[in-house]
Amino acid sequence: MLAADVEVDRREFTVRVALEVAPGERVALFGPSGAGKTTILEVIAGLVPVKRGSVSLAGRPLDGVPPWRRRVGLLRQDPGLFPHLSVRQNLLYASSASAGELDPLARVLGIDGLLGAMPARLSGGQAHRVALGRLLLAHCDALLLDEPYSGLDAGLRRTLTALVGSLVAARSVPAVLVAHELPDAQAFADRLLVLDRGSVLQSGTPSEVVLRPASRRVAELVGYLGFVPAEGRGLAGVHPDRVIPGAEPSRGLVVDGVVESHRPAGAVWEADVRAGGALITCRLADEPTGPVTITILDPPYFDASGTLIPDNAPRTAP
Amino acid sequence: MAPNTGFSAKSVVPRQAASTRGGLPRARSVPAIVSVLGAAVIWIALLGPVITLLFHLSWGSIRSSLAAPGAWDPLLTSVESGLVTLGVLLLVCTPLAWMLARGRLPFPRVWEAGVLCSLLLPPLVIGLLLVFMVGPYTWIGSLLAGLHQSGTNTFLALVIAEVYESAPYYVLGAQAAFESVPARLEQQGSLLGDRPARVFRRVTLPLAAPGLAMSLAVAWARAMGAFGAVVIIAYHPTGIPLQIFTTLQETGLATALPFALVLLVVALPLPLAAYIWSARAGRRRRG
Repeated sequence: MLAADVEVDRREFTVRVALEVAPGERVALFGPSGAGKTTILEVIAGLVPVKRGSVSLAGRPLDGVPPWRRRVGLLRQDPGLFPHLSVRQNLLYASSASAGELDPLARVLGIDGLLGAMPARLSGGQAHRVALGRLLLAHCDALLLDEPYSGLDAGLRRTLTALVGSLVAARSVPAVLVAHELPDAQAFADRLLVLDRGSVLQSGTPSEVVLRPASRRVAELVGYLGFVPAEGRGLAGVHPDRVIPGAEPSRGLVVDGVVESHRPAGAVWEADVRAGGALITCRLADEPTGPVTITILDPPYFDASGTLIPDNAPRTAP
Repeated sequence: MAPNTGFSAKSVVPRQAASTRGGLPRARSVPAIVSVLGAAVIWIALLGPVITLLFHLSWGSIRSSLAAPGAWDPLLTSVESGLVTLGVLLLVCTPLAWMLARGRLPFPRVWEAGVLCSLLLPPLVIGLLLVFMVGPYTWIGSLLAGLHQSGTNTFLALVIAEVYESAPYYVLGAQAAFESVPARLEQQGSLLGDRPARVFRRVTLPLAAPGLAMSLAVAWARAMGAFGAVVIIAYHPTGIPLQIFTTLQETGLATALPFALVLLVVALPLPLAAYIWSARAGRRRRG
C-alpha cells in the first residue's frame, strides 16, 4: 500500500493531498497544468521536501528516506534513458535488476531486438518501453507516471497505457499516473482524483467523476462546456459528447435552442447553441443550423453554490 | 535472392552520415562554397604564427639548438609541471565546477566572478601578486619553509604559477560540461537505487567526460605555454616558454624558435587526443 498525506508549499498555493493506493491499484491524478500533480509524485519519490505529513510504502515510513532507498520508480514524459549506455545497460542499470529477467521482459515490451542499440537510435515509443522496462527490472515497490506518453501519438499512447496497466496488475504494485488529458487518465485508472490549485476536488471511479462531477469546477475540468437552467432541478451540466439531436425525455433533459455557430470537429460537428439563456457547446453527427431540439443525456445537476445535487435528492431551482 | 552488396540497409545510415559529417563534399551551392572559403581564410589567419614558425626554421638550426647540452631539460620540466598541474586541477577544481554547475553554492555569481578574476588579470600581474601571497616573507611562505619548500623559484612555484594561469579555463569549461548533463538523469539514477557518489560516477562523469576532456586540454595548453606568472615566481627550474625567452635574449631568434616547435609538438597530442576522444564519444552515443 502506498499512502501519502502531505502538504507542500508552492509559490502560489499549498498542495494538500491524502492518497492511498493499494497494491495493483491504478490511480490517476487529473487536473489542469500547474495544479500540483507533479509535485505530489516528486514528494512520494523523495525529490521534493514536504512541509508537513508523511509518506509510507508497503508499511515502510519514507519520511527522511533519500530517493535511492525508497524503491519508487518515476517515469516522466522524457524517458530519461542514459545516452551513454546501450538499451541493455539501461535496462540493467539498477543493482537490483536481474539479467535473467531481461530477455522475457524485453520480449513482453517488444524491445528484444533493440538491446544492443543506443538510446539516440530509438523512437519515442521504443524509448518509453525501455524506460518502463528499466523501472520494472529495478523491482520498484511503486510506480509513478508523470504524463509519460503525452508526446506520443494516440495509438501508441493507448498501447503503452494498456501495457503498463497489465504489468502493474501482474506485479501487484501501486501505480499513480499524472495526466491532464482525461482520456489518458480514464484509460489507465481504477480511481481518479481531480486536483485543482493543490486540492483534491473529487475522488472516484472515472465514470463517477465524469458522469457525476462533485461540483461545477470539476465538471468544467472534465470537459463540461455549458450549464443550462432546468426548471425545478437546478443547473444541468452539458458535456458536448453527451448530447443527441431530438427530444428523448426518457434519456435526459430536452432543450430547445438556436445554433449560433458551428464548425467541423473530426467526424462530427461542434455547435454553440443558445438555450435557456445559456450558451452550451455540443457535438452532433449532422450539421446543425437554426433552431434545434436536443437531449442532454442524463446530466448532472448543480445547486446555486455549484455543488452536485445527488440523484436521489429533491431538485431545487438555482 | 538479393545481390550481396556488402552492407545491410542499417549500415547505409552511418555511411551517409559520415559523408556529411566527415568532411566529404558538402558545399554544393555558391553560398556554401563561399562560407567554406571564408572559414578557410579565418583558419589560415589563426594558424599564421605557426605557419610563420615553420617558414623560419631550418634543419640546421633545429639540430644545433636541440643538440646543445641540457637542451631537453626545460621540456621535461614543462611536461612534468604540466601533468602535475592537470592533476591538481582535476582534484581541486572539478568539485568546484560541479557545485557551480548544480547551483550548490550560495550567491553563485559571486563565485563565478571570483573564478573570472584570475582570467581577467594579466598573467604578469598574477605572478607579482603570487609573490605577495606565497613569497618567502608571507605566512604561506613561512609555512612552506617549515616543510622545506618554497613558493618561488622551485618546481612547486612553477606548478603554482601554471595552476593560477590555467585554472579559470578548466573551471569554466568543466562547469559548462557538468551543466550539459540533465539533472533529471541524475535524479533517475538516484531513483534507481544509486547513492549520489555512484550517480556521479555512473551518470554525471561519463556524460560530462567529453566536455571535461576538452577543458582539460585547454588547461594543458595554457599550462604548457604559461609564461607571465612563471617568469616572476618560477624563473628556475626553467620550462620551455622561459627557455625560449632566455635563448632569444642570449643567442637570438634563430636558436630560440626550435624550442617553440618542440613546445608545439609536445603540447599538441593531448588536446588532439581529447578532441578525437570527445568526437568518438559523441558518435558512440549517437549509435
